[in-house]
Parts: sequence; C-alpha cells; structure tokens
Amino acid sequence: MDYVGHNGKPIVERVSTAHAAAQIKDLTRVPISKATAHEVISLSYGFFTPLTGFMGPREVDGTLDDMQLPDGTLWSIPIVFDMSTDDIKKLDIKEGGSVLLEYLGAPMAIFDIAQIYEYDLERMAEKTYGTTDARHPGVKKTMSYQNRFLSGDITLINEPVFNEPFKSFWLTPKQHRDTLTQKGWQHVVAHQTRNVPHTGHEALMKQAWFAANEDLPIDTLKTGVLVNCIIGQKRAGDYIDEAILLAQDALRANGYFRDDVHKVSFTLWDMRYAGPREAIFHAILRANLGCTHHMFGRDHAGVGDFYQPYDAQNLLTKHREELSIKPVFLKENWYCPQCQEVTNSALCGHDATSQSFSGSVIRSILTDEVKPTQRVMRHEVFEVVMDSAAKYGEGSPFCTEEYLKNRRPVFTLDQLEGLDS
Amino acid sequence: MSTNNGTIKINVWINDERLDALEKAGMAQLAEEAFAGMKLLAIHTTEEQKDLLLQRFAGAKYDSATTKSIELLPKHAKDKLLELSIQMHSTGPEVTDRFLQEA
Repeated sequence: MDYVGHNGKPIVERVSTAHAAAQIKDLTRVPISKATAHEVISLSYGFFTPLTGFMGPREVDGTLDDMQLPDGTLWSIPIVFDMSTDDIKKLDIKEGGSVLLEYLGAPMAIFDIAQIYEYDLERMAEKTYGTTDARHPGVKKTMSYQNRFLSGDITLINEPVFNEPFKSFWLTPKQHRDTLTQKGWQHVVAHQTRNVPHTGHEALMKQAWFAANEDLPIDTLKTGVLVNCIIGQKRAGDYIDEAILLAQDALRANGYFRDDVHKVSFTLWDMRYAGPREAIFHAILRANLGCTHHMFGRDHAGVGDFYQPYDAQNLLTKHREELSIKPVFLKENWYCPQCQEVTNSALCGHDATSQSFSGSVIRSILTDEVKPTQRVMRHEVFEVVMDSAAKYGEGSPFCTEEYLKNRRPVFTLDQLEGLDS
Repeated sequence: MSTNNGTIKINVWINDERLDALEKAGMAQLAEEAFAGMKLLAIHTTEEQKDLLLQRFAGAKYDSATTKSIELLPKHAKDKLLELSIQMHSTGPEVTDRFLQEA
C-alpha cells in the first residue's frame, strides 16, 4: 500500500507506544486542553501531513503570507501550541528539551521542543480570518492564545481509546486508505459536515457523486462518498456529535445510499470558521485520507457574514494547481414547490417560489420534535436524531450546557503501566 | 381574532396532533404551508416580548437577518404557546403576554 498524502508527501505517522513508560520517565509533564489533544492526535496519525508537529515562526509566517510551508507545500491554517511565559519558566521548558503532554491526567505524547517564540496575535488573526473582529470565533480563539508559542515534533506514546459511537467511525489516515482500497473505490468524494443530514445535504452528496464518478464505468461502481464529520469543540446550539455520526450513517443503513458507495468517518478538529482558508485546509485534510475529490458548497466553513457565499470556491480555484484533490463546486439545493422536489439552484429556474434549507428552519423543526416530511428529512434519520437526543443529549439533539458538562468523552487515555502517577 | 399585531414571529411547526387541535378550535386555516409540505403557525410578538423571551430562554435566538423569528425555544414553551393560542383564539402578542405571565 502506497500511503502518499497532500503534495505527494508520505503520510506522517508518529506513534511509538512500545516501552512508553521508560521513554517518558524523567520528562516534565505538561497538561493540555481538549483542543490541543485533538491536534496532537491529528498530527501524530498524519491527518495534517506533511506536518510532524507544532509550527515554528517560519512555518507560521509562510502560512500567513504565502499559504505555503517552507518547502512550498500549500498550507492555510497555523497549527500552533501556546503557553504563557510564566508556565514556561515554572516548568523549566527549554529549546532542545522534551516534555510529556498529558491529557486529563494521563500521558499522551512526547513534545520535542525546537523553538520558543512570540508572535503577533492580531497579525495571525487578520491573515487567517481576513478580520480582527472579535465576534469571529476563530479570531476569538487566536486572540486568547497565551503570549508564547512552542514548536517541535510530536510523538504519540498512548493511543486514544474511542468510546461508542465514535469507535465505530474512527479511522486513521492510513486506515482510511486501506478501507477505501478494500471498497474498490478509485474515486472518493469527501463531504465535510457538522450537521445531521436533511434532504438538501443528501442531494448535494448525490450530485457530488455523479461529478466525482466522471468517466468511470458504472457497471461496477468504483466511486464513493466519504462523509468525514468534524468532531471537535462544540458551542451551545450545535448538533451533538453522536447525532451527527449516527444520522449520517442512517442514510446508508436505510438505503438512501447503497452500501457500496457511502462511508462515514470523522476527524478531530476544532473548526476555525476561516471560510476560504478553512476550505483549503479541508482539501488538504481529505487528500490525506485518500479522497480524490472534495465537495464544496455555498458558505463553506464560514460564519455570520464574514465571507461571501463563494469565497471558498474562488480561493480553491486560485490554488487549484497546488491541491492534491479535485474540488467539486456546487450551488445550494432548495425545495421547489413547482418542481415538487429538492433541486439545485444551478438548474431550477423557479427562484421566486423556491424554499431554502436554512439551518435555523431545520433546527426549529427538530426543536419542536415535529416529524419532518420526507421532502425535508428522511424519517429514519429523524428517528435516529431523536434517539440520539434521548440517549446522549439529555433530550436535545443540540448541545446544551448540561450536555457539554456531562457528556461521555469522545475518547479516553489509559494510564500507562509501570509509570508512577 | 387577533393575528399579526407584531412583526416578530414565533414559529410553531404543526404536526398531525397539533393540526387536529387547531381544527377543533376552527383555527386550522392559520397554519400556513411554510416549507416542503410542512405547516407552521406564526405567533406574533412585540420587540419587548422578544427581549423577555430571549432573557428567559438562554438557548433561544432571534434570527434578525432572514426569518425575523425567535428560534430554538424549547418544545414545552412552544406547546404552551400553542395551547394558549387555541385557548385565546389568537396568534397576536396577547398570547405571548399571557405566556410570559404564566411561565
């Protein structure tokens, strides 16, 4: 198996669990947040190939100014590790040394510190998001970084143990590639999502399948849709993670997609809502998973009115030659009472009477627990959403303060034998 | 029958059970086809009522950009609003008034 990812680079896999206790015995322990733990996992398994660790100032500069890593590889979002000068001093962290990253009290990864540096947060925010407006959640995240950054390679020494339902959908990049090969898929189109699917989403995935199949024969199907859900930091009102995965899978389980053309998995990533730059990042990520195509719709990875509806598609077009994946651009689907079907706005001419799939309308229907018509959401999908709400969401398919406080973690880390805690 | 004295709406989506209750009250015609075969009853509120509802229900949001409606009110609040609407034979702001008094 050839594990080649973004820009022809070999898929990074920096996992070393043998003799872990001995490796970390004398290392200083540094507790990390959930957001950082997600990035440690993604770096270690190669979701962020070719990155092998957290970025130094040269990589950040290149990312912000030219959307390039020092070797010229396309890259759009800074992947950084922040820490306060007080903590650096207190923990006696020095360039050239190594520390043990621990998450929720368990050892997780070795961080070889290459550089400790300062960075202008406002510049990082402005370049990444095109704004310094504090209402932008990505800007808020950047501006809340501590006053120093640490760069260097990461090696995972304790693999995450995923809880259900996540366990059933977890694949590393190499496992993704093995799975796609086993399925016999020559073309794979990625669908990026943080939502439970309504029929508008379903139609987008189906339209993307046709686009991605191109001129492959159809007697034996060799094109698949990879629904790669983003699982990460949640805000109150977002769909609960469990409902997203299970409802997406319900489309296949109930025959709305054939078994042999549809697969659900997830990536741990805290959305930055960086619009165009995040679209580039998603293209890189899915190239690393083995996808050949990536569907991009209206308002991809945007938030509020910070970006124009097709800014992401325009930036992808600008960098088309540097992408290792073929973008499939689609306009939004709507329900047309005259056509009496869910249809694409690129084709349907009944603009005046079209009915948009606004996120708030779907949320409003689900909040009322009113079973949508089949034209809005498949009944089986609705049932799965409501079951997930009951089982995981304390009655709600949306994140509430209680859910965020009490939810079963996505993954846990075992304590390592032979290591004094 | 008072209907649209306010410009801000609370959308109550109508399933068979809710439609049945509206029919019995002679109000079924107020449930309008809204989206892909789904009906909703719009209960109208004032600006002040909107602010009070958003204070009382932290998870609710006002969609000022597109629908001009208060979204994500919990189901029990919508059930109560519908019950009051039928009881008062109205979809006007007085329904929300009563709701705010009783809640």
